[in-house]
Amino acid sequence: MDEVVKKYTTRKEFFKQYKKKSRLQETWNRFLRNKMAVIGLFIFIFIVLVAITAPIIANYDTEAIKINVPNRLKAPSTEHIFGTDEMGRDIMARIVHGARISLVVGFASVALALFIGGALGAIAGYYGGKIDDVIMRCMDVFLCLPDVLLALAIVAAFGTNLVNMTIAIGLSFTPKFSRVVRSAVMTVRGIEYVEAARAIGSTNTHIITNHVLINCFGPIVVQVTLYVASAILTISALSFIGLGIQAPIPEWGNMLASGRAYMRDHAYIVMAPGLAIFVTILSLNLLGDGLRDALDPRLK
Amino acid sequence: MEIKKMNEQENTLEIKNLVIHYISDEEVVKAVNGVDIIIKAGKTLGLVGETGAGKTTTALSILNLVPEPQGKILSGEVLLEGRSVLTMSELELEEIRGDKVAMIFQDPMTSLNPVHTVGAQIAESIEIHRKVSKEEALKQAKEMLELVGIPGERSNEYPYQFSGGMKQRVVIAIALTCSPDLLIADEPTTALDVTIQAQVLKLINELRRKYHMSMLMITHDLGIVAEVCDEVSIAYAGRIVEHGTLEDIFDNLRHPYTKGLFDALPDIEIRRSELKPIKGLMPDPTNLPSGCPFHPRCDYVMEVCSQSLPENKWLSETHCVQCHLYKDTNESRL
Repeated sequence: MDEVVKKYTTRKEFFKQYKKKSRLQETWNRFLRNKMAVIGLFIFIFIVLVAITAPIIANYDTEAIKINVPNRLKAPSTEHIFGTDEMGRDIMARIVHGARISLVVGFASVALALFIGGALGAIAGYYGGKIDDVIMRCMDVFLCLPDVLLALAIVAAFGTNLVNMTIAIGLSFTPKFSRVVRSAVMTVRGIEYVEAARAIGSTNTHIITNHVLINCFGPIVVQVTLYVASAILTISALSFIGLGIQAPIPEWGNMLASGRAYMRDHAYIVMAPGLAIFVTILSLNLLGDGLRDALDPRLK
Repeated sequence: MEIKKMNEQENTLEIKNLVIHYISDEEVVKAVNGVDIIIKAGKTLGLVGETGAGKTTTALSILNLVPEPQGKILSGEVLLEGRSVLTMSELELEEIRGDKVAMIFQDPMTSLNPVHTVGAQIAESIEIHRKVSKEEALKQAKEMLELVGIPGERSNEYPYQFSGGMKQRVVIAIALTCSPDLLIADEPTTALDVTIQAQVLKLINELRRKYHMSMLMITHDLGIVAEVCDEVSIAYAGRIVEHGTLEDIFDNLRHPYTKGLFDALPDIEIRRSELKPIKGLMPDPTNLPSGCPFHPRCDYVMEVCSQSLPENKWLSETHCVQCHLYKDTNESRL
């Protein structure tokens, strides 16, 4: 024992080796060990960077929107990496600008769903009893309808524009988030520190925001990443059937739709937007799965 | 302030005939079945009993925190300095919790929130009740940490960086920040090892004297009772079967159950002696035996025991027992 202590000059240093790493650090290390998740993270960061720098990569008005008939249906070349579409627009420029719409609407709609669904789920899970029953049965009604159908109905009723679409997708995801948050809140609610907070006179609102929700962070983050992927897919699906983003504005779904007619002779025209959707969804799913594994202490 | 409290010799806490059942669809758990407790200002009452005797439920009722919706307070009164807790509005309750009554929880590992610094958790109570700014509250939180023997600069650290004993000190600091009139300690040392237990008990005792608080000490350790309590109530199946001063219980015990508890203690003098456990198990609270709930396990059982519930019998000014043995005598019959 003496020799062991000697190795460390002071007692303090001896005990330092037992000091636990912070939970965040531990989670991050576990995440890094998952190669697929790290790949997903890198691809996703790349997509975000592309979306942010889109105006630098290609001019929106002259390259992504302006019709240039003599240039139409050019195969991929050094000048147009992904070729040009049936109106002579550079597909690369349209993909890059399309990423902005997909990401913004994807995150905004999930944020909306998280805000409404999270609040309802937290209230239902924390108070339980009748309040829980009423809120969750209402959510169950919405859950009966497929997301796309619900979003479709909302868009059809209120008209197709960016804001309506965000609201439509956000609302259609709300019941799912309310379920996730509710179950997370119910686990945390039973832990003694919540009771301890009540015992020092904290208000319920304060306890929900400051003690309960903050400890539900893990499952919520995982669901957010997975649902952003799902939201992006829904945007593209709606645009594909003509109820989402309208024609001149570049969006992956409507690019697929308009390119469909030329698919036989010019396959590259649908290849690029299809790949863009595929890669984005894949990266978010890998990321989400990796986060779920990293945040689940049982899989240590 | 101290003198004022000394003068008014009123009771800090009075619980009268409290009955609490947990009612679910399948069954009714009879947790508390008529508990009477009085704690005088500045005194410490020990509430002793096995697991499931209704100790914690009784304690939670003082803060009106009995878990809803299953927990139902069917009858009884809880008076905190003369005010009825059970009829208070949620707003009034929030004012009392942490300010007039504070609670030390059993397990320091789970009673601290892992995502907030210990300083912030102590400051929370100050912010709520003293209406001071966040900076001021954090400053006072540091002082509280010093008071329980933890360097103030550690207030920026998170609970996982503390050992079990230190966490319990933090929990004590949280409970004491607003110098409550009544401190409820719900088995404050069961999750700690023996050497740390002694330190924590000493700390609680010192601080309690310093601030002249009343205390309800819930425990199943008679050693702790001897150490810190003025009076003792022995709980069994949701009733107080014997109540008295330390001398009454330790030197003149009357109830067979109390005797059983003392017999079950190991004797340091006679190391070879076998322990004498109380035979049988704690009765199922959903299906309590008829009459005296202790009669199936009692060595002194009589016919009447299974038929009727014994009344409170006062043997002296301070000593009270619930047992048929003492119907017409005050002398020990054990």
